[in-house]
Amino acid sequence: MSNRSMWSLKLSTAAIALIPAAIGINYLGKLVAGLLKLPLWLDSIGTVLSAMLAGPIIGALSGIINNIIYGVTADPISTVYAITSGVIGLIVGVMAYKGWLKNFKTVIVVGLVVGLAAAVISTPLNLIFWGGQTGNVWGDAFYAFLVSNDVPVWLASFGDSVIVDVPDKLATVIVSYLIFKGLPNNFISIFQGQDKIEEL
Amino acid sequence: MSTMTLYADRDSVIHNHVSPLTKVLYVVVSIAITYIYPDLLFVLLVTIFSGMILTLGKVFRRILPILAISIILIISIVIVQGFFNPENQTELFSIGFLTFYKEGISYAALLTLRVFNMIMAFGVLILTTKHDELVEAFIRKGLSPKIGYVLLSVLQLIPQMRATMGKIADAQASRGMETKGNLSVRMKAFFPLIGPVVLNSLNSTRERAIALEVRGFNTGIKKTFLNAAKEYHHQGFIQLILWLVLLGTIVWRILI
Amino acid sequence: MSIIQVEGLKYKYPNTDKLALNDVSFEVKEGEFIGLVGRNKAGKSTLCFALAGLVPHFFSGGYGGKVIVNGLEVRHHEVGEISTHVGLVFENPFSQMTGSKTNVFEEIAFGLENIGLERKQIIERVNTSLELLDITALKDKNPFDLSGGQMQRVAIASVIAMRPKILILDEPTSQLDPQGSEEVFRVVENLSKEGMTIIMAEHKIDKVAHYADRILLMDDAKMIDFDVPEKVFSRDDLQEHGIEPPVVTRIAKALGIRKQGSDDYPVTIKGFTQEIGDKL
Repeated sequence: MSNRSMWSLKLSTAAIALIPAAIGINYLGKLVAGLLKLPLWLDSIGTVLSAMLAGPIIGALSGIINNIIYGVTADPISTVYAITSGVIGLIVGVMAYKGWLKNFKTVIVVGLVVGLAAAVISTPLNLIFWGGQTGNVWGDAFYAFLVSNDVPVWLASFGDSVIVDVPDKLATVIVSYLIFKGLPNNFISIFQGQDKIEEL
Repeated sequence: MSTMTLYADRDSVIHNHVSPLTKVLYVVVSIAITYIYPDLLFVLLVTIFSGMILTLGKVFRRILPILAISIILIISIVIVQGFFNPENQTELFSIGFLTFYKEGISYAALLTLRVFNMIMAFGVLILTTKHDELVEAFIRKGLSPKIGYVLLSVLQLIPQMRATMGKIADAQASRGMETKGNLSVRMKAFFPLIGPVVLNSLNSTRERAIALEVRGFNTGIKKTFLNAAKEYHHQGFIQLILWLVLLGTIVWRILI
Repeated sequence: MSIIQVEGLKYKYPNTDKLALNDVSFEVKEGEFIGLVGRNKAGKSTLCFALAGLVPHFFSGGYGGKVIVNGLEVRHHEVGEISTHVGLVFENPFSQMTGSKTNVFEEIAFGLENIGLERKQIIERVNTSLELLDITALKDKNPFDLSGGQMQRVAIASVIAMRPKILILDEPTSQLDPQGSEEVFRVVENLSKEGMTIIMAEHKIDKVAHYADRILLMDDAKMIDFDVPEKVFSRDDLQEHGIEPPVVTRIAKALGIRKQGSDDYPVTIKGFTQEIGDKL
């Protein structure tokens, strides 16, 4: 792992150039998941991968910029979730740095944490902007079920988000981890930007 | 190679005489006021106003497909709020055993109009502004040129990756990869489709970073611009009005 | 005074044990054209990176010795600063495009904006570069719509616009079709005639033999030889270092035609016909 702080704002050019690639990978994940009619979005693989490679700041930037770009080129509504995407990158970056990518079991924990965090952040956004729903058919059906059983709106909305976000983010983190594991070692050091040059 | 953009080249007042930053302020203010003051008629007026600006910019028809993307969200809002809103009391009408309530429907109408206005206000910005002019305007206002670079390069990178993706999908299909069938078959197809593009793009990332370095990307010198900033008049006045509208709405909300 | 001085240069990439450059020393005079040859992984690319300051600044890792380019010791200056003294062009034309610009003119101006030049100066320099590389006709095209050869010339124009004294090309034609390669060789020859110091790593040995004043032969991270093409390509152990001599040299060797007054064989058609002419 890098010998410098993960919060360093002196970002290397390689790390900066990783952001557009990450956003492209997000887009492709979504495209392929749609193409294969998978029941998941898988639209944040790039964000998660960039956070594993270059840390929480790049991860967060990838997430935020991803939604802004998607908002101005296709669907303005997604801009609302820029914060959620940013937090996903941030959490993966921090957990990767703290050694949570050790094995498959810890990676599943990362996936669950990310999924729950995404739901926690999205819930107030969903409540403010569209009365608590997500626009996902299954999630919203669950929401309707909860509300009609006198569960408070905020809790129903959280349930809606959990059902939508947790499986998707868990799958995303696992896929990203498998790709990350397959990358050559010398590749990773470039993005982590070690400052130290050893004297020979 | 195409650039990803919704920009529509027109000769209009909105294109030629409203600066990118003024349009950004319009997006922020017009969305904010519909949430600050939750009145159906007021939100309707704001939405109509956004629609008028789009018409003035000769791009109204371009907003329709973008509105269509949010149709599922809107249908879901109408159904769920119409049936299940906890405030529901007054029966409006029933279809068979389903009953819609007045409270839920009017709340759904408010939410829908807000979504429409959000999309249309965004449309004012993204349909009438060239993306590079927008980003340069932000850099001149203090946005890091590096972030500016990221924003602009994504717009060209995605169409390229999509093209590479298409080639790989064809190649894998010709090798007999199954992309249809049950869920586990389709899930297995995910990696061979996305893996090569991901590796390829990470590799180009490294090379592109080198190319950027040798072209002074990381010097810390204050960047200059090849393109002179386009001059706009009366922007200060328009922006002042927008700020006053925002302030006025807040005050109105507090007083009433 | 040499424009490039390399003294005892050692380097290893991070997380590796093996040296990628092992005690390399040489000097290059202003205006020389140096051909850099050697098998894959011999250290050619790493040496190119070291001359442009990317080693060690971009790659980090372990570093020893000295590289001085145009009076600047690379170790103590940033890549951005070095870029106005040393230009670097590499294999893949595609990844050398910034991706943020939508026409060739703006693409070439990218570096000049970064080093803070005035607008007027930028336009003037871009126009000069366009002419030097013979791509003025392409200036309004999207860089990604160009052919590989055209794209590579845009990449060269982009670094030339920074007005470096030294141009380093790391296998600039290896991903191009024959026509694209020819375009690139032609402009590099022109730049050399303009007085620019050129270091070119290249697998097309006949081309290298034709253009280079001197050849730097590398193998296994070490510099094996650094001499005029006739000397280097006449080495008996050349193939052991993974290099096939130029066709002309092989023919001359088979026919026993040496350069007059030396043990070396000619390496270009011109040199060859000269010797034959003398013999006849």
